Amino acid sequence: MKEEFVHMEQEALSRIAGAPDLKTLDDVRVAFLGRKGQITEILKGLGNASPEERRSLGQTANQLKGRVTQALEERKAVLEQALRQEKAQQQRVDLSLPGREAPRGQVHLLNQIADEISDIFIQMGFQLALGPDVETEYYNFDALNTPDDHPARDSHDTFFVKPGVVLRTQTSPVQIRIMEQTRPPVAIIAPGRVYRVDLDATHSPMFVQMEGLLVDKGITFSDLKGTLMHFIHSFFGPDIQVRFRPHFFPFTEPSAEVDILWTAKDRHTGETKSKWLEILGCGMVHPEVFKNVSYDYEEYSGYAFGLGIDRIAMVRHGISSITHLYENDMRFLEQF
Amino acid sequence: MQISFNWLKELVPLEADVDEIAERLTMLGLEIEAIRRPGEGMENVYVGKILDIQPHPDADKLVVCQTDTGRGETLQIICGAKNMKVGDKVPTAIDGAVLPGGFKIGSRKMRGIQSCGMMCSARELGLGEEHEGLLILEEDAPLGEDIRDYLGLNDVVFEIEVTPNRGDWASMIGVARELAAFYGKEIIWPDESVEESGVPAADCSSITIEDADLCPRYAGRILRNIVVKPSPPWLCSRLIAAGQRPINNVVDITNYILMETGHPLHAFDYDKLCENRIVVRRAQEGEKINTLDGESRQLDSEMLTIADGKNPQAVAGVMGGADSEVGEGTKTILLESAWFEARSVRRTSRCLSLSTEASQRFQRGADMNMVTFALNRASRLMQELAEAEVAPGILDTWPEKRDTPPVTLRYDRTTSHVGVEIPPADQKAFLQSLGFTLESEDDSSATFKVPSWRHDVRHEADLIEEVARLYGYENIPITMPPVRQSDSVFAPRATPLRNFRSYLAGQGLTEIMNWSFGSTEALANTGFVAEDAALVRLANPLSESYAVMRASLLPGLFGTGAYNAKRGRRNLQLFELGPVYLSRPDEILPDEPMYLGILLCGSAPGHWSQEERPLDFYDIKGCLDDMGRFFKKEFSLVAGESAAFQSGQYAEIKWRKHSLGQLGKVSDDAVKFFDLPENSYALEINLETLLSRMAGPKQFTAIPQYPASLRDLAVVVDQSLPAQELLATTRQAAGPLLVSVDIFDVYSGKPLPSDKKSVALSLIFQSPERTLTDKDTQKAMDRIVVRLQKDLGAELR
Repeated sequence: MKEEFVHMEQEALSRIAGAPDLKTLDDVRVAFLGRKGQITEILKGLGNASPEERRSLGQTANQLKGRVTQALEERKAVLEQALRQEKAQQQRVDLSLPGREAPRGQVHLLNQIADEISDIFIQMGFQLALGPDVETEYYNFDALNTPDDHPARDSHDTFFVKPGVVLRTQTSPVQIRIMEQTRPPVAIIAPGRVYRVDLDATHSPMFVQMEGLLVDKGITFSDLKGTLMHFIHSFFGPDIQVRFRPHFFPFTEPSAEVDILWTAKDRHTGETKSKWLEILGCGMVHPEVFKNVSYDYEEYSGYAFGLGIDRIAMVRHGISSITHLYENDMRFLEQF
Repeated sequence: MQISFNWLKELVPLEADVDEIAERLTMLGLEIEAIRRPGEGMENVYVGKILDIQPHPDADKLVVCQTDTGRGETLQIICGAKNMKVGDKVPTAIDGAVLPGGFKIGSRKMRGIQSCGMMCSARELGLGEEHEGLLILEEDAPLGEDIRDYLGLNDVVFEIEVTPNRGDWASMIGVARELAAFYGKEIIWPDESVEESGVPAADCSSITIEDADLCPRYAGRILRNIVVKPSPPWLCSRLIAAGQRPINNVVDITNYILMETGHPLHAFDYDKLCENRIVVRRAQEGEKINTLDGESRQLDSEMLTIADGKNPQAVAGVMGGADSEVGEGTKTILLESAWFEARSVRRTSRCLSLSTEASQRFQRGADMNMVTFALNRASRLMQELAEAEVAPGILDTWPEKRDTPPVTLRYDRTTSHVGVEIPPADQKAFLQSLGFTLESEDDSSATFKVPSWRHDVRHEADLIEEVARLYGYENIPITMPPVRQSDSVFAPRATPLRNFRSYLAGQGLTEIMNWSFGSTEALANTGFVAEDAALVRLANPLSESYAVMRASLLPGLFGTGAYNAKRGRRNLQLFELGPVYLSRPDEILPDEPMYLGILLCGSAPGHWSQEERPLDFYDIKGCLDDMGRFFKKEFSLVAGESAAFQSGQYAEIKWRKHSLGQLGKVSDDAVKFFDLPENSYALEINLETLLSRMAGPKQFTAIPQYPASLRDLAVVVDQSLPAQELLATTRQAAGPLLVSVDIFDVYSGKPLPSDKKSVALSLIFQSPERTLTDKDTQKAMDRIVVRLQKDLGAELR
C-alpha cells in the first residue's frame, strides 16, 4: 500500500510540475483530490480498514494529501505569476508619451501681481477699495491739491471725456472717495486701471496702479517706511536694498519715491548689474487733502502710496517692454 | 536740467567727488536721470600753434601748415580752413587722436602731400555748429595742454529731474544753494559789477507797467555798441554741457544767465522799439505778433505782452518778437529782466501751444529778487564778451512787492509726523541754511519768512518736509503702525471676483487684458447696437482706433483672437474680466459694470490618443453652465439674432427676468472683419446682477439612505423638439421620486426618418423614506411614457 502511495505521490507531483497552465493544473487537482480523485478514494476506502491500519494509512494518506495540495498551490502561484507577467508585458505603455493634462489656463500676470501685493497689505490689516476709471477732475486733481493751474498738472497727459470729466491719471482719487465716505481710521489699498496720453516702448496709455492709504491718530513717516519695507521685503525678497528719497506729489507732504537696488543679468552680455529702480511714490497726506474731506489735520495724520503694478511686474520678471503686458500674445501669457 | 559739475564747483566749494555729489543730490530730492561725461572718448587733442602756412601746390582750396603740438613735435597738416594765420593757437588732433563720436584721426596723403593729424573746428570738438573755420583759441592758451582741460570738456554733467514744485532747482545757483545748505557752505556769488558809461538809461528809454497784477516787476538796462559775434570757447562749452546750442554772444549770454540764475532774460534791439520804450500790458483782443520761431500769433486780451510805444514786441515770459530781434546789425539792446505771474504765463503758453525754456521757468515761479542780479550779471558779460557799453542806471519798475506769508513750525509736529525726535535747534538750523529767516520764536515753535525763490512753501507740512529732507530720509527710523480697520467694507465684490477669475483659469481659460478704449467700427462689428449717446467718447484720443471707451469686451477679445491666430495659434480659450463703460443720461460719470467675455476658437485641447475635436456651440454653452455652477444660478437661453453671431447658434442669456448677456457662434461677417479663425465661439455677460446676488453659504442636504433605482429611456421625437421640453415634460410627469434626468445620447439618421431624432434619457429614482420597489419605479416610468407620447408625440424606441 505504501508503495502505491509513493507511486501515486510521484505521479501527482510530476503532473503538477508539468502542468503548463491553470486549466491543466485544475484537471490534476480533480484527478487526485476531486470527489472521485485517487487520494479521495483512498481516504474513503479507509472506513473498511482495521483501526490500527486506519490510523497508520490515514496518517500517511493525509500527509500525502497535504503535500499534493501544497504542490498544487505552489504551482498555481507560479502559473498565476506568469500570467500576470504576461498581461503586464502586453499592457506595457510608453512612459515617455505625454499624459492627459487638464486644459491649461492662467490669470493674467498683472492680476496675479495685484493679488499678491493685495494679500501682503491685507495681512497687515488693509482692505480693498475701488473707484471708477472715468473720473471727475475734482476727484482726480482738485481734491488732491492739484488745482487747474498747478504745475503738477502739466506732467499728467490727461485723456478728457468732456470738460470736468477725465480718465483717471492715477488711483489716488479713490483716497478721496473713501475718506468722504468714512471717518478715520481708514486703511485701504485700491488697485485699478489708470490712463495717460502716452504711447511708446516704455509707456502704455493704460496701465495699472495700486493706491494705499492709512489714516489714524499718530501715523508717522517712519510708519510709512516700515510698512513699505515690509511690503518690499515680502514681495522682492528679504535681502533687497531699499532707499527712500525726497520727491514731490501735490497731495503728500513730505513726499518720497522709493527705489530698490535691483540686480539683473544683461540679456546680451550676461553680466550682472545692480541698479536703483524706482518702484513707488509715497508720502504723508497733505493738509489740503484732509481739508477737502473734512478730516482734522491736528487730530489725524496719515500716509498714502501709489505703486505701478506694471512696473513692479516688469522689474521682478525681467520683462523688457510694457507692450507685452497688453498685447495678449499667448506666448507671453502662458509663461506666467 | 543739466548740471555741470565744474560749473557747480565754481558756485559752491565742494570737496566731495562725483559719486558722492550724485548720491547727495538724489537724497536731497534732485533725482539724477543720467550722468554724462562730455569729454569722454576724446583723446590726444592739444592746444597747438600754427608755425607756417603755405599754399598746397596741387589744390587751390587747401593749405599746408606746420603746427607745433607743444609736445616736442611739429606736424605737417593739410587744411581747408581759411580763418587762421601764423601764430594762431588751435585745437590740434595728433595722429591717433579720437574725436567725439569715435572719429579717429590718422596720417594720409592729400593730393600727394603727407598730412599728419588735424586742426579742429568747434563742431569737430562737439562745441556747436561752427565748422566754417578752425576754432581759434585765446592767445594765452597754454601750448600743449590737453584740449579737454583747456576747454573744460573734462566735465561731468548730471541730468536731473526738477520736480514741478521746485522751479528754483532749474538753475545752477538753485542746485548750488541746496548743496551749500547741506554741507554748511556759502554760495560763491559770481561777479555782477558793471562799469557804466554814456547817457543814463532813464534819459533814453522808459518802462511802463500797465498790468502790475501780471507783472509786478520789470527791469531793463540799455547796452550800447554791442558787437555780435561767436562766443568764446569757455562759454560755448558751458552751454553745451547744459544742453544748449551756442548761437552768438548776445543770445548765448542770456541763455548762460538763464542756466546760472534760472532767470529768463530777453534782449530787444533798442533801435527797433517804437519810441525806444517798453509798455507792459495785456494784449488787445486779436492783436498779432510775429514770434522768433517765425510764426504769426494772435493774442487775446488775457495775454500779457511786452509792447513798445505801439506794438507787441514779445509775448511776456514766453517768446520774443521777430520785429525787435537782435541780429548782425544790432548796435544797442534793451535787456529785459522781469517777473511774470506764473498762472498767466502758463495760460498763455498753453493757449499758444508754445512752451519755451523761459515759459517753463516762469510757470514754476521765478525769483523776484533775482531780477536785478540776473540783469547785472548779463550786462557784465555783455561788457566782457560783446564790448557793450552799459548805460548808467537800471530801469527798475516794481509797483507790487509780493511777500509770501510767513509759516510757523511747531517743533513737536515734526516729531509726530516724521516719527523721530529732531532737536528744535537742528530744525531751526536746517531751515535757516535753506534761506528761511526767523521772524519770531518761542520754546515750542518758530515763524519763518519764506525765501523769494520758494513758491512751494505755504504750510507747516512744507517746513516739516524741509527738516526731514535735510535730516536725511535715510536716517528716519523704521516702525510698524498699528493698522486699525474701518468698520465699513468698501469693495464687497473684490473677493468673489477674484475667486471667479481663478475659477475661470482653472477651467482652462487664459485671461487677457486689453486697453479700455477701442474704435466705434470694431464695436459695430460685434453687433453692438446702441444709441450713440450711450457711448463714452474721448475728446483727445490717441487715434480713431482708440476713440471710444469700450461698451463691450467682444472687440478686444476678437482682436486678441486674430492677433494670436496670425501667429499660428488657432486653438484658443480666452477670457477677459473687466469693466465696460456706458453713459448714463442723468449722471456725470458713466456706468462701469463688470463684464466677462469668453472667446473659444478652433478645436478642443487635443491629445495624441484621440482625434482633435472641433469646438461647437456646446463648448461655449458649457462655459455658461460652469458659470452657473460657480454662481449657483441656472441660466436660460433665448434664441435671438445678432450681426456678429451665426443665426440659429446665438442666444440671449437670461437669469430669471434679467437679460445678462449673449453667446453663440461668431458669424462669418465678424470672422472676416476681425480676421478670426473660422470656428469661433464667444460669450459676453454682465456680472453685476450675479455679483450682487451671490448665494449665501450652501446648506447641507442629507445623504440618501436608501438605494437609487436607475432606468434608461429612449424616445423618437421630432427633430425640432428642444431637449429642454423633453426634460421638463419628463420631470412633470415623473412625480417626486425622480431625482434626476439626463440626456446621454442624441441620434438622428438611418433608420429614422430625416425629421426625427432619438433621444436617450437616463433617470434616477429615489425615495428618502424607503427602498423603492420595481413597481414604484415602473409606475413612474409608465406615467412618463404616456405623457411624452401624448404631449410631445414621442414614440418609444
